[in-house]
Amino acid sequence: MPINLKTATVESREQRLGTIIGWDGKASDLSKESAYARGGCDAKCGQKARRICELRGPFTQGSVCSEQMVECQAGNVRDAVLIQHSPIGCGTGQVIYNSIFRNGLAIRGLPVQNLHLISTNLLEKDMVFGGVAKLEQSIRDAWKRHSPKAIFIATSCATGVIGDDVESVATQLEEELGIPVIPLHCEGFKSKHWSTGFDATQHGILRQIVRKNPEKKQDDLVNVINLWGSDVFTPMLAELGLRVNYVVDMATVEELAQMSEAAATVGFCYTLSSYLAAGLEQEFGVPEVKAPMPYGFAGTDAWLREIARVTNREGKAEDYIAREHERVKPRLQELRELLKGKRGYVSTGSAYAHGLIGVLRELGVDVDGSLVFHHDPVYDSQDPREDSLAHLIDNYGEVENFTVGNRQQYQFFALLQRVKPDFIIIRHNGLAPLAAKLGIPAIPLGDEHHAVGYQGMLNLGESILDVLAHKKYHQDIAAHVRLPYKKSWLKQKDPFVLARRAAAGSEK
Amino acid sequence: MGKKAIKQIAIYGKGGIGKSTTTSNISAALVEAGYKVLQFGCDPKADSTNTLRGGEYIPSVLDLLRENARVDAHEAIFQGFKGVYCVEAGGPQPGVGCAGRGIITAVQLLKQQDIFEELDLDYVIYDVLGDVVCGGFAVPVREGIAEHVFTISSADFMAIYAANNLFRGIKTYSNKGGALLGGVIANSINSDFHRDIIDDFVERTQTQVVEYIPRSLTVTQAELQGKTTIEAAPKSEQAGIYRRLAGKIADHTESKVPSPLDAQELREWSSSWADQLIEIERRTQRLAVGA
Repeated sequence: MPINLKTATVESREQRLGTIIGWDGKASDLSKESAYARGGCDAKCGQKARRICELRGPFTQGSVCSEQMVECQAGNVRDAVLIQHSPIGCGTGQVIYNSIFRNGLAIRGLPVQNLHLISTNLLEKDMVFGGVAKLEQSIRDAWKRHSPKAIFIATSCATGVIGDDVESVATQLEEELGIPVIPLHCEGFKSKHWSTGFDATQHGILRQIVRKNPEKKQDDLVNVINLWGSDVFTPMLAELGLRVNYVVDMATVEELAQMSEAAATVGFCYTLSSYLAAGLEQEFGVPEVKAPMPYGFAGTDAWLREIARVTNREGKAEDYIAREHERVKPRLQELRELLKGKRGYVSTGSAYAHGLIGVLRELGVDVDGSLVFHHDPVYDSQDPREDSLAHLIDNYGEVENFTVGNRQQYQFFALLQRVKPDFIIIRHNGLAPLAAKLGIPAIPLGDEHHAVGYQGMLNLGESILDVLAHKKYHQDIAAHVRLPYKKSWLKQKDPFVLARRAAAGSEK
Repeated sequence: MGKKAIKQIAIYGKGGIGKSTTTSNISAALVEAGYKVLQFGCDPKADSTNTLRGGEYIPSVLDLLRENARVDAHEAIFQGFKGVYCVEAGGPQPGVGCAGRGIITAVQLLKQQDIFEELDLDYVIYDVLGDVVCGGFAVPVREGIAEHVFTISSADFMAIYAANNLFRGIKTYSNKGGALLGGVIANSINSDFHRDIIDDFVERTQTQVVEYIPRSLTVTQAELQGKTTIEAAPKSEQAGIYRRLAGKIADHTESKVPSPLDAQELREWSSSWADQLIEIERRTQRLAVGA
């Protein structure tokens, strides 16, 4: 089904794409079970979403919900305000997201500022009598304090249950204040995976900020959908004579509005960019660049060539690609020597992991296992050129122990025992301490652009060398800590044994 | 294809007032007249559309949600009398969960999957439990769902109170793009004073009566066969009344903001009627004795 912008509420990932958060096996089997490989689909499974047999255990879903992804996207638009229409507890994320936001601004060379997030602080009586009056007050306060160019409203579980009519308040104040006032429906209970929160933000932006029927086109402008990473795309795309429009994080409202004027949209991670890129193509005719993601030689070559094709700059791309191959190969060869025989493990978001495993294989690192936090059997465009998992397998071969799981420490132990890596690569750092206790150092990829492109291979190689240099420190930690698990669990080979027992029980 | 405007109507009324009976007869009359109609039952009991399907219950949208990780809303659409589409929102067992959230979820699932456009409908009729007790039950009257609300009421004061409450809900949402009031469908009207009470109420609240429907044994007989009156007794006088009502709803274009009575006004209004009713009662007794 195409993206439906008629309703204020976004469809969840599991509804649109058939997203799962529990699976264990070979990467090639997961790829075969995914929608891209299956081709046709019977009437029952909808146009896009396909059903993968999901492992459902008693402890499957990790913390982090859709609302937090709205905080770290809509909340990061520089001249907007995000109102959290929720009890105050949903606001705890403001602390961490403020630090990430400030760091991101500093890295990008933008003026450092604090987040503009306001909580409506709903109390018992608001649950009983409704919270829209408080919301209206908060919108007015936001307007007075910050004179924003747009106001986003994040809903919460609480307002979703009582059915607060957020839309009508938003419509009324949008008219009165003359700026977009955008409800984002991100109730945590609506989706088991947080990435629905990316989609909720992007849905609101597509509906209410992106300029409809733009008067001009900017033929050299490319929308780059990202988070807070360092600016690696400007120099890359400048080689093709293209300018970068970074969205959504750290963009201004005007930069979001001009997305419809761009020549194309690209991403570096389909988990993040799937919805917005597909929506821009469907509703505004801005082509989405459908290619493997820009990791390793194969991915980066194809990604650049496709951008060049879409924007009519083929010649420039070939020249740049050849120069870059030439430039990085000598050091890459040295890194391969230095990293020979090392084993790595990737534990990050879904599409992103597909890219990183490729980079590790380019570096000659053995990768026998990976944990991704969810899996989308298809992305919104449904175009097989975006099948990042198949790209990985076709270009870099099998990953024997490929696991989909939502950051469960108790499972991570057995996962690491299977492959005994020398280091792990991680985002969402919560799993790093467990690895450290096992003597395994972690590379926390705070800058998500670190491994992108040709230079990204070298960057990641250097980071591995850095982290292996403090292997001894981690071994010392391992020698002095005890894990909190029972012996029986430490001996357990199957991290999903509880899920399999639950499944067997329900079949009886 | 699918570009025509779908007329969306919500029908509210107190439980037991004949809401589903009347709604199903309106749907039946509209399909009979050649329109494509979908009736959307918004009551956790999930029995709104029974008489359109020979008394049969259908699995509700929320039943599907209970069973499946993802819901294909097509599986909740069933066809009944002359091809009328039937959907039940469904909901939790009495005493548990949140029926209001159930309505929000069910309506969103259908809207997100563009079902109404896909079926190329002329009419969507929401049959909603009338006591608008929370935000969920108000969903059909909000912006972007129904444009017109009709409320069913008898001359019974409790039913009128429920109608008055609904008017308050409509007024709340009226300046926020919500649905407006088309009028009152007066049900079980078998005497002049029933008619007078309803007429007086609509006058005070600045709305109108769309149709007066008498209580009729034909309706009961049809219901017991699991059918609408239109289907079971198409030539009856009652079926004619339902057809006339459906015609008026089809022709209806302009709804208004009602002026609900406040608590004090409602109390005074009903006690003034109580005095009159006692007087009427006395007169009939005197007449009976005299005869």
